[in-house]
Amino acid sequence: MTARILIVEDEALVAMELRFVLEDLGYIVVGTAPDARVARALATCGGVELALVDIHLSDGPTGVDLGQELGQEFGVTVLYMTANPGMVSHGVPGTMGVLTKPTDEGCVREAVEYALHLRRGEPAPVVPPGLQMFG
Amino acid sequence: MTNPAANDPDAIEAERLRVLRSFDILDTDPDQAFDDVMLLAARICDAPIGMVSLAVGDRQWFKAQAGVDVSDIGQATAFCLYAMLQSGVTQVCDASLDPRFADHPLVTGRTGFHFYAGVPLIDDQGLALGALCVFGTRPRPEGLNETQLMTMDVLARQVMALMERRRALYERRRSDEAATAAVEAALLVTEKLAESDARFQAIADSMPQMVWSSRPDGHHDYYNARWYAFTGAAEGSTLGDAWGDMIHPEDQQQARAAWRTSLDTGEPYEIEYRLLHHTGDYVWTLSRAMPIRNAAGVVTRWFGTGTDIADMKRLELAKALLSQELSHRIKNIFAVISALLALSARQYPEARAFATAARNRIAALARAHEFVRPPTESTRPSLDGTTLHAFLRDLFQPYDDEAAHPRVVVSGDDADFDDQAATPVALFFHELATNAAKYGALSVPGGRVTLTTLQQGERYLMTWQERRGPPLNGTPEGAGFGSSLLALSVEGQLGGALERIWAPEGLRVAADIPVTALTPRRAARQLT
Repeated sequence: MTARILIVEDEALVAMELRFVLEDLGYIVVGTAPDARVARALATCGGVELALVDIHLSDGPTGVDLGQELGQEFGVTVLYMTANPGMVSHGVPGTMGVLTKPTDEGCVREAVEYALHLRRGEPAPVVPPGLQMFG
Repeated sequence: MTNPAANDPDAIEAERLRVLRSFDILDTDPDQAFDDVMLLAARICDAPIGMVSLAVGDRQWFKAQAGVDVSDIGQATAFCLYAMLQSGVTQVCDASLDPRFADHPLVTGRTGFHFYAGVPLIDDQGLALGALCVFGTRPRPEGLNETQLMTMDVLARQVMALMERRRALYERRRSDEAATAAVEAALLVTEKLAESDARFQAIADSMPQMVWSSRPDGHHDYYNARWYAFTGAAEGSTLGDAWGDMIHPEDQQQARAAWRTSLDTGEPYEIEYRLLHHTGDYVWTLSRAMPIRNAAGVVTRWFGTGTDIADMKRLELAKALLSQELSHRIKNIFAVISALLALSARQYPEARAFATAARNRIAALARAHEFVRPPTESTRPSLDGTTLHAFLRDLFQPYDDEAAHPRVVVSGDDADFDDQAATPVALFFHELATNAAKYGALSVPGGRVTLTTLQQGERYLMTWQERRGPPLNGTPEGAGFGSSLLALSVEGQLGGALERIWAPEGLRVAADIPVTALTPRRAARQLT
């Protein structure tokens, strides 16, 4: 199973590590965006199925609204990945859940697989421990 | 009047003096009305001398004389003192033949008085005050005739009537004077009050704070100039209960409730609210009031102040924002370090296990910081689930079984912990859990752990008990870094005691730490 994934993360090292992990797992990373503007531009190109979105970006705490926009207007499945999960602990419409950073490869793999299963309407395994689902 | 004992001359004398003074007649100038009576008495009795004498102490005092030299008057005392103590008219027809008066200078001397008639002056209480009398130079064996006797009686009563009138006038004058004095005193007090009020107003108006006062029933009856300048309210428009309308609608209810409570209990009033500024904005204000009590302890008045604390509020907000920003950055740094480790390890496959272990420890630290109390709030009780138990449940969540039931069950007394305690707490439990996952109860599907926390006085006891894991064979040989971390965390950083027992049914770890070790910042603040 492969998928086109967008990484929205302003810390270059964290973004690069995440890209490597996802690519090792066979996913296609369409790009890493440090802010909402670049993320929107990449999403507009189309074909993005899943976005891993940090909340604090280089243009401020714009990740929350960006995630909602990606989910509701671009039809992208959105998982937040943040060191401050408290910012979205009440859930954000149009998005799926949140992963707390730092996290490990296992958690990322399980969370991404789970999210894609749900997106494709396939029977999903149990919610992976590291993933906090909304609603 | 008092009723002095008849046989106590001193008491009678004192009473007489008191009554005479009440007429305001002693030592006053001659009075035409008395003179007229005297003249009439002398004329009708066909005598050259008429007199009204009043007994004052041991002397006689003569209010009116008709036809007598001043130098002789004093000598009439003996006659009058005698007459005033008799009832009716006393007559001495020929003093030269009367043994009581024959040697009296008025009789033997130049005046050559021979005849005397006197009638006592008796007040409405029956007290003799003196006598109305006439003197004659020739003896009058026949005495006064009936008309003359009657005239003496009538005139004596007339003298008393004149004296009563004087008394009435005197009393009215006195009460007028008293009234005037009272009015003057009241005026003086008012003046002083006005002066002190003016002084208070001057002080109150020059204060940088808003000042107000209120009656015990909560009715506001004064505001200083600063209040009106700050709020822009029209002078007097906020008296009574209208002050509440100047407060931000969201704060009104709370302010009114606090004020009501203070009025009911007499407790000082203190509240922060947003007050309408004359610019139309609401400004954060600290409002305080103290009750003024009378000698009986009853609240007679409230004095209050309002202080603009907008700057303080702005600083507080800026501080909170800064604190939040720092907290975000700190947590982000953990993510960056973790990513750096992972990226570095990619080059060296043999370092992968090391990198994973290090990253997991860093992740535990990062998670702990998600749950610590921000330093700015550490004095408040935690209400939002950022407690030790909440953190531990989150930390152990990856070890849940397939039905999402926790395999590490946390129970007992919960506690807050702050950022200084976060590192040892996180590392301690992370090591216990990863160790259990490798070698202990969490390494097999059926294994379970109970973590019980117990606060006993100043101590906080945490007991980690593994069960249904692989059987243990006593104390493992050689202590690894993980083991060192356990000891370092509990004994070093938390200042507690650590006990590990490798019982056959499972590892048991007991950490006994001071309660204050979980919130060292709060403890330090309380010490200073």
